[in-house]
Amino acid sequence: MHHSKALAALALTTALTAGGAAGAAEIQLMRFFGDCQNEYGNVNDASQANGECGIITALVNQFNATNEGGHTVVVQTADWGAYYDLLTATYQTGNIPDVAVMHASVLPDFVARDLVTPLGSLFQEAGIDTADFVPAALQNASANGEVYALPFDLHALLFHINMDLMQQAGFVNEDGTVRLPTSPEEFIQMGKEFEEKTGQNYFATESQANEGMMVRFFNSLMWQQGVDVISPDGTTASINSPEGLKAATFIKQIYDEGLADPNLDALGADQAFLSGQAGIELIGTWMVDNFNAQAAGGQVALKNYAVANVPNLFGQDAVWADSHMWVVPKDEGRSPEEQEAAVAFLKFLNDNNFQWSRTGHLSVRQSVIDSPEFAALPHRSSYANTAQIARSLPQTQNQRAIYNAMISDITATWLAGAEPQAALDSAQSQVERILRRSNRGG
Amino acid sequence: MNATRSGWALWGDRLLLAITVLVAILWFLPVLWVVTMSLKPNSELMRSTWGFIPYPFTLQNYADLVRLATVPRWLTNSLIVAVGMTILVLVVSSLAGYAFARLQFPFKRTIFVLMIAGLMIPEQAVFLPLHQMFADWGIHNTHAALMLPRVAVPIGVFLMMQFFRAVPRELEEAAELDHASRFTIFWKIMLPLSVPALTTLGLFTFIHAWNDFLWPLVSATNANMYTVTVGLASIQGNFAQTQGLGSIMASAVFASLPIVLLFLIFQRFIVAGVAMSAGK
Repeated sequence: MHHSKALAALALTTALTAGGAAGAAEIQLMRFFGDCQNEYGNVNDASQANGECGIITALVNQFNATNEGGHTVVVQTADWGAYYDLLTATYQTGNIPDVAVMHASVLPDFVARDLVTPLGSLFQEAGIDTADFVPAALQNASANGEVYALPFDLHALLFHINMDLMQQAGFVNEDGTVRLPTSPEEFIQMGKEFEEKTGQNYFATESQANEGMMVRFFNSLMWQQGVDVISPDGTTASINSPEGLKAATFIKQIYDEGLADPNLDALGADQAFLSGQAGIELIGTWMVDNFNAQAAGGQVALKNYAVANVPNLFGQDAVWADSHMWVVPKDEGRSPEEQEAAVAFLKFLNDNNFQWSRTGHLSVRQSVIDSPEFAALPHRSSYANTAQIARSLPQTQNQRAIYNAMISDITATWLAGAEPQAALDSAQSQVERILRRSNRGG
Repeated sequence: MNATRSGWALWGDRLLLAITVLVAILWFLPVLWVVTMSLKPNSELMRSTWGFIPYPFTLQNYADLVRLATVPRWLTNSLIVAVGMTILVLVVSSLAGYAFARLQFPFKRTIFVLMIAGLMIPEQAVFLPLHQMFADWGIHNTHAALMLPRVAVPIGVFLMMQFFRAVPRELEEAAELDHASRFTIFWKIMLPLSVPALTTLGLFTFIHAWNDFLWPLVSATNANMYTVTVGLASIQGNFAQTQGLGSIMASAVFASLPIVLLFLIFQRFIVAGVAMSAGK
């Protein structure tokens, strides 16, 4: 008797489960950020996870556990460096993901080739409010008046600061805030003074032509002078303009005056900053929580850590930024149910944008930036304004190629002693060639 | 006089030995550094990468790798592809090499020139058409797609041809007198003689297949079909070079182990193979 009751209960449960899963879809998600299943594979609450990999893993787990449609996100990770080659290859090999992460700087390449799904009307139906996106994020996610991506963050350059060294140099105001330069001349003069008083470098950043942190700084300085590195219509560049020369000369001077070590790679710059050998490190939002944890851990020379927007040195507030975004790659084989499930997942990510902002990246939602939870996160109030001053290149194709060309030439000014004007002329020529090719549809 | 000369020779040998040891140490230091970093915590490496002593010590970087459910699958894929490709390359190269070395057939010279011209075409030049072709056939994300593009190896055919040419014709002529067929001669006489060359070619093919990254990256786009090189790269976080250096180094050591073992077991053949391909 008991046996037959148990069987009946099992049959009922199976029927109910099957009924609940009707319309449930499997969402293939392709992303970088790494694999941390070992640490976060069982964490279903994103608030309990940390770091990019941990938070996105927990967000996916949370969606899988709680979404009402019974959808399941299946994650495929890929190497950051080779990610776009792999994603592009899927259009040929057939396993096109339903949702994929994408940098704003790469989106134009996919939009121009009609490889991503327009999302404006789908967002409206799903209740994703694009008006809540900060202007830079919405611009990054849009092309030709249409929204093609869900912006997830703005990751911008910041000044990471060792306050103890600043105190020693006398650059801390009475209210405890740091005093930063307001012009290139003041930057050099303060840098010299800092080095005299502390015996350490004023500035540190990746300087070895790998990641091009100083090219991002160069772009920021161009925007601070009111000049677009690439024209809004993507047809011309202003790299070798008088403003470009001012920016490049200033950057070269930082190294020539010995204010920064030109031999540092990305890890070297982080180590110099953590070990108290540099007052300021120029790197992005993504390092905030790591530096904060290292300073609190007490095992490094950096004890008193602060963050600030990249200061206005040339007249206008502006700083380079890129965005992580989510797109729905076009796939003729995708069913309407699968597409609906993909958008439901995007809505979930958008609803939980605050969790992602715990990585250190800036939220793209004004409502999150204005929230007390966001303000309560370490150092966020010091650079929340970056969301308003963030700038990106216009929606032009081949931005990675443009960036690499600029890295090669501009880095040569401090690594190989190239004259700024000659380096800028060379970069200008290469970038114009890339723009011509892009505008021909190549 | 002789004693002086032998004294100089002795000192010369010692100097040569000292230089060899020094060069070997210099070569080994980066490897030791990689192993040391793989045994340190990531947070420690962010502070400092100096030193050859793994202190503070951790096996966490390796534990993270072996606990990943997908790693055995990726290792299996790499093994299938490397072994499969090695067998196919040996079959094709030995048959073609023998044909070029010993057989007469129409357009032999033209075909040989075409084959040798293959040495001058970089892999990247045929990458897109090859990828398109495999897409048209619908065989991406299969083991076959990972092996087939590398089966026709001009250098392998050339190596085997040179080896077969060096075998005295009298051996084959004796077999012909016993009415052995051409294939019997190839199979029972020439192939056993070519074991050193086959071993060398096989080892180089296996190493190349195991280490390959670019083609598997764009052909095996399904995570279940990743090889170990693509798979291990896929688990790295975006800032692994600064925040996950220990994990990267552990991945490097882990992926290299089979090749290192292979080298230790077959190093005699590898050295002979380098000498053979340089001398012929």
